[in-house]
Amino acid sequence: MNGERDQLPVVGGLFTWPSDEPKLIGSRCPICGSVQFPRSNVCNNPDCDHSKGTEEILLSTEGTLYSYTIHAYDLRTPFDYHKAPYAIGAVELPEGIIVVGRLTTTDAKKLRIGMKVKFKVDKLYTDGEKTYLTYFFEPVDDEK
Amino acid sequence: MSEIAIVSASITDWTDAGVAIPSPLDKLASVAIEALRKAKIRPRDLDAIITNTTALPFDAPSYITISAQHFAHRLAEKIGSHGVRCMNVCAACASGAIAFATADAMIKSGLVKTVLVGGVDNSPRGFYYQGPSFLDPDLAVSYPHKVVGITNPSYWAMWARRRAYEMGKPVEDIKELMALVKEIQSAYGALNPHARYKKLFTAKEVLASPVVCDPLHLYMISAVSSGAGAAVIMDIEKARKITDKPVKIAASTVGSTVYGEPSPRLVYFATAGGKNAKQPFIEWRKPIEAAYRQAGVTADDIDILEAHDTSCFHTINWIDQVKGWEREETDKLIRNKQIRHDGEFPVNLSGGTASFGEAVMCQALVMIHELVLQLREEAGERQAKKKLKMGMCTAYGAYGSYGVIILEKGW
Repeated sequence: MNGERDQLPVVGGLFTWPSDEPKLIGSRCPICGSVQFPRSNVCNNPDCDHSKGTEEILLSTEGTLYSYTIHAYDLRTPFDYHKAPYAIGAVELPEGIIVVGRLTTTDAKKLRIGMKVKFKVDKLYTDGEKTYLTYFFEPVDDEK
Repeated sequence: MSEIAIVSASITDWTDAGVAIPSPLDKLASVAIEALRKAKIRPRDLDAIITNTTALPFDAPSYITISAQHFAHRLAEKIGSHGVRCMNVCAACASGAIAFATADAMIKSGLVKTVLVGGVDNSPRGFYYQGPSFLDPDLAVSYPHKVVGITNPSYWAMWARRRAYEMGKPVEDIKELMALVKEIQSAYGALNPHARYKKLFTAKEVLASPVVCDPLHLYMISAVSSGAGAAVIMDIEKARKITDKPVKIAASTVGSTVYGEPSPRLVYFATAGGKNAKQPFIEWRKPIEAAYRQAGVTADDIDILEAHDTSCFHTINWIDQVKGWEREETDKLIRNKQIRHDGEFPVNLSGGTASFGEAVMCQALVMIHELVLQLREEAGERQAKKKLKMGMCTAYGAYGSYGVIILEKGW
């Protein structure tokens, strides 16, 4: 899926789109190197001198599963397109931050803390006219 | 620096959330008057009124919620005032504790002598959602529900699973521990006339309740409630003329986000600067350590704990952080039921939020009220068996808000 006109991010500015290889959009401080997601206009390190503004960067697409849960209840309106069961993970990226996101599987047998996961963008819901996209982390089968 | 004490503390009964009668302000006014009457003072004797703001009605536009952000001013007008300093404190679930800490700091500064700390909330039901205001579309906190479907219990569930992992245990282990916490605390809710839930739960029933977000089951998560509380605090010498049991405020601290905290924090998309972080929950631990320093004590001096338990995981994690010991020790303490009133370290003898439900922004008043009763040996059947000298209450809220209070017998 790469940018058909009827597909759009559920919230703009979080990941690159349209794109063949979408990535999370973060920021990095050129002075101290602190990385943030979502991107921020200022550095968040209390020891930084803040002498320069941050730069936009694209974050790594592979990370490690820090923890996860499987949500067993639907959310209510206006977020009722989040239909249970769905899985949420906290993923540690090589940049040193942990990002929360949807996981592609609710099969607990396929999930374990410490496993590698890979970033992808996929359908969250369709309202009949448009398809809304969000980001997911997909378990990487590295035990073959 | 002068010593400060609580002269009186009162709470209403905690009731079902989302019911508008009696109005929150009426509730707050009646409990404030009760606290003033117990303290034998009149509104004119107050130098300041500090209350929480509230999320009520939460999903409404700001032109409706703005009155709920000014309870201190409205309370002053309602009970009769004379130009007192009014402050409204907003810090999510930690609002009540931070209102209290603010009052303590104001008296310590010498600016004021006598303060009424009040709080009320009539919390909205169901999962809490952050939505973007069109004037405040902050990407970091306004969209996690919309984009990820994450709820507050999802964060707590991930913390619980991670704790089991770090201890090298299966997730069922922490699940059982959380169910046991609920079983123990429900016994005290049943004995507390102010608690909303009087039902006794067994751990087995808790584990049989529906899963909300694995490993959290429904009865491991606090409901939301409506309630109000108030406390009158003043210089301890003045307090001694009013009561023979002034409860000294040994410490009150306020915590917030810590750069490098590795645990995903409500209600953010990402952690900040976790690269060098090793130990999770440093931002929970920091205001506790600050409180120990302020009071000149250590964890061993704390005889009893009231811990803000929006889930049963919170109770476990608060014990971890308050004690600062190996997590195995916390598990042992709970499994041996040493957190009961007859145990070595009683926790949440009020029944906790597990039994009250959470009147979100003012829940700390329940904990403060309970510690006052316990230290004065007025808690009836819930009274701790051991000799008490010092108690702590801990509050946790979204956005990284924390409050810690140490109370001590002042007689």
